[in-house]
Amino acid sequence: MKSNEENFIKRLQRQKEDALEFVVDTYLPIIKGITYKVLIPLKDQGIVDECINDIFLSIWNNSKKFKGDSTDFRKWICTIAKFKAIDYHRKASKEVEFPSDYMDRNTDVSAEDELILLEDRTELIKLINQLEPIERDIFIMKFFLGYKTEQISKKLGLTNTSVDNRVYRGKKKLYQKVTTLELGESRA
Amino acid sequence: MKDIYELLNDVNLDDNEFEEMAVTEFEKAKVKSRLKQSITKKKKRMGWKMNVAAAAVVVGLSTATVGLTFPAYAGNIPIIGDIFRFLDNEKTGLYDNYKEYSTEMNLTQESNGIEITINDAVFDGETVALTYSIESDRDLGGDLTSFNTPSIKGATGAAGSSYISKIDDHHYVGLDKITPFGLTSDSADIKWKIGSILQTSTGEKIKGNWKFAFSLPATDSQIQLTNQSVEQNGVTVNIKKVAFTPMSFIVHYNQQATQQVREKWHEAYIELEIKDDIGNVYSGEGNGGSGTDAYTVNWSKTFEKLDPNATKLIVTPHVTFRIHDASNSGGVEITSDGKEKEIPIPVKTGVGQEKFVMDDIVIELEK
Repeated sequence: MKSNEENFIKRLQRQKEDALEFVVDTYLPIIKGITYKVLIPLKDQGIVDECINDIFLSIWNNSKKFKGDSTDFRKWICTIAKFKAIDYHRKASKEVEFPSDYMDRNTDVSAEDELILLEDRTELIKLINQLEPIERDIFIMKFFLGYKTEQISKKLGLTNTSVDNRVYRGKKKLYQKVTTLELGESRA
Repeated sequence: MKDIYELLNDVNLDDNEFEEMAVTEFEKAKVKSRLKQSITKKKKRMGWKMNVAAAAVVVGLSTATVGLTFPAYAGNIPIIGDIFRFLDNEKTGLYDNYKEYSTEMNLTQESNGIEITINDAVFDGETVALTYSIESDRDLGGDLTSFNTPSIKGATGAAGSSYISKIDDHHYVGLDKITPFGLTSDSADIKWKIGSILQTSTGEKIKGNWKFAFSLPATDSQIQLTNQSVEQNGVTVNIKKVAFTPMSFIVHYNQQATQQVREKWHEAYIELEIKDDIGNVYSGEGNGGSGTDAYTVNWSKTFEKLDPNATKLIVTPHVTFRIHDASNSGGVEITSDGKEKEIPIPVKTGVGQEKFVMDDIVIELEK
């Protein structure tokens, strides 16, 4: 049996390798588009390739967590691609010594970015889980997917101020929770 | 608690803001093969018991599927490198060593937006086997067939087979085998003119003009004359000679039948089963044969590479007598005025078919 438009999600979730191939065949163009856009300034083909591999691997390993139909699937993997690409960009730009023309780009790395880089991922996700759904979405868009406030407000139909306010309040909540956690403790 | 992938599921992004980028088949193949490796590595990290089982399965599967699922194209891409094995699908093992001893041709002809590349060719002294790949700029749909078989200079006739397998809408690979009869030289001068390719499912003919001409020297072979026979139930099978090439061995044999057999049956068909003295069973493929009638025929059959430790070959002929009837035989003759005339099947006394196994012929291998 082969994977097709109808059955590939189920087969992917059952860990059938042909489903993964189907996904590569169908979605590589969009995944490549997303990855290149984010990572091309690094001028490192190796990182791009690695990132693309990582994206598909994550899709494969986490396929069971996906819910919905093929339209949702496209959105889901685009989101994963964006998230991974941003992640790779952050890591790479931390490591790389920037030539002078990239210096001002480097100052873009905010305190939150630093937090994400420094904090253990799972810990951070646990914290994000405790936020209100709308704040959660804003946080993910802003810090995992690298969206600007204006883009977020457009997507969620909120004003810029309201997005910024929610980010501010959310951050405050997170800091409180972080400080109340003992070393090594985590909140389920 | 949700993890990041579940959280990302909830973020309902507008995927139209992303732009697609052009991707070549090669890139896809590359991504797939790399992924495959990552998955394999991952699987191997399971518990130790699973580990053994998984590793065994993975090894078994990966050799079988890499060719199938991660094909690459034309001679310059290593993944499908061995079309012989790819098309044999690891089934018989007959072609396992062909690539190694074949000549890399990489002759490409382009016509009507379709590129045909002859990748590898080998002449074992008996049969020419050549692999080719087809790459098109458009979707060619289902399976393809090519009608024109390669012709070999100096041959009085030929038997052969042709097979094309679809990789994807733009890529196909094929294997052609031609056994020339009456060839005296130890090289094969091959001319292959393809005027069209047929799309089997739709019957659509794709016209073009692809022409290849090349010469192939026969691989070194060691010929052992045997002339050992066995006779049973009116049938004689004689193993004339065996030719050993680096990647295979070819058994030349003929068959004869007595008058009684000729009167009773329409056909006597011989199949050879070959083992060696250390327990290997060899799979092979017939190359066709020629003869004066259905009872007296010279055949040859190619088997997979001989185990160097073998000292004897044990040949067991299986004989099938058959009666032809309308369901398994028949034909029409077209007369000079263009009318069709059915060729009558001569009446014989036998019924249906009869099978038997002959005594073994044991060939001591000369070393």
